[in-house]
Amino acid sequence: MTTVERVRTAIASVDDPEYPGISVVDLGLLETLDVTLDGHVVVGLIPTFSGCPALSMIANDVRAVVGSVDGVSSCDVRWLGAPAWTVDRVSDEARQAMAQEFTVAVRIGVEPVSCPRCGAPTTETSLFGPSRCRAVHSCPACSEVVEVMRSSSGGRA
Amino acid sequence: MGRSWASMVAFEAFLDDGGIVEVDDDMPDAYRQAVFAFIEMHANSELMGGLTERDWIPKTPGLRHKMAVLAKTQDEIGHGHLLYMVAADMGIKHRREMLEDLFAGRSRFHNVFHYRAKTWGDQVAISFLVDAAALATQQAVFKNCSYGPYRRILKRIITEEGFHMRMGEERMLLIAEGTEIQRALFQASLDDWWWPALQLFGPDSQPDDVLLRWHIKSERNEVLRARWVQKFAPLLISYGFTIPDPDLVHDPEAGTWTSGPIDWEPLRRTLAMGGPDSARRIADAAANWADTGWVREAMDHAPERAPGPAGAAV
Repeated sequence: MTTVERVRTAIASVDDPEYPGISVVDLGLLETLDVTLDGHVVVGLIPTFSGCPALSMIANDVRAVVGSVDGVSSCDVRWLGAPAWTVDRVSDEARQAMAQEFTVAVRIGVEPVSCPRCGAPTTETSLFGPSRCRAVHSCPACSEVVEVMRSSSGGRA
Repeated sequence: MGRSWASMVAFEAFLDDGGIVEVDDDMPDAYRQAVFAFIEMHANSELMGGLTERDWIPKTPGLRHKMAVLAKTQDEIGHGHLLYMVAADMGIKHRREMLEDLFAGRSRFHNVFHYRAKTWGDQVAISFLVDAAALATQQAVFKNCSYGPYRRILKRIITEEGFHMRMGEERMLLIAEGTEIQRALFQASLDDWWWPALQLFGPDSQPDDVLLRWHIKSERNEVLRARWVQKFAPLLISYGFTIPDPDLVHDPEAGTWTSGPIDWEPLRRTLAMGGPDSARRIADAAANWADTGWVREAMDHAPERAPGPAGAAV
């Protein structure tokens, strides 16, 4: 493996602090990765929401794992202002894991949301959930309370 | 309608086999009441906790910590929102009734929210000690919880509370490695909050506790409490702080830390809404609800959002 590959694998081992088991790479936070010949690494991440409280924790975790990769002399983690994160960046595996492990659905644009438990279309109860990136829905079919990960546009038309 | 059971014996056998009860099951009334009361108290505690956090948004030092407090406020209020939905689905009280009972001082919330957080040191002690205690009780419920909708919500709540705990640890380390003034501030807060945090676990579980029998709780209160003391007493002492328990016993051979006799009177006072800050807290929560009525009103009359129906929350 090249150093870049090893660094990428290391970053993929960092979980989102709010979703243990789901990597920041699968959530689509990794935007740029540069490694110089002398082993200096610059990681460019984008936040799901600019006010996310987990930013410093994620940056520290990434710095720690990248710093211990063979061939890396130093690591700089930067939060990029652009592009804006959207739910389209979440991998299919992460979407499945969120539905199965956390009963959290991911809303793409204005598509209807399916209940992770029974598959019926959900209805929105509140645009504001426990975190900036989530709304609260409920399922009319099975009564499940469903959290829905959304882009900052809120999944509005 | 989901499943039903011929008798309480059959229902308990189902639970003992690891059965999970769902909202449309015909569960025994006593079970429904016990689970509902438990979730309602949890929901109330999230809301009251969120309001405390909110009070600290303007007073929190440093932009990074302020951002974290903002997010934590949203977390707690959001958790309350999810839990009130799960509780309301049980068909005992509507959400509005639960809120009215809370604001009238008729329903319970955790003892720690009956005290006032006076200083930043108090906030650090709360996020370090109290959050850990609350998380330990929630984890013990999640481990074996027989009520499916609550169990699934708890899984998400626990991961977020675990994240709060990491923030609490960070705050504690910062103040512990700070100036003498900062350390003295934290020691004073530790003196005030050690016992309320410990009492959050409640008195020793009774042998006939239905919450244990029906697999809502998976651990006895005294076991969780002892584990918490075991973790935090040596940790705080290693940072040079004093635990305000003169009868705390350290057995170096066994490596155990055991708290002295516990005075349960302060806990009883909070359960009767007679804690040091109960009246102000409840009045404040009620005033907040009244002040934000216009937002709910506006949401109720907001045009429908594409693509789905958007029933505004009450």
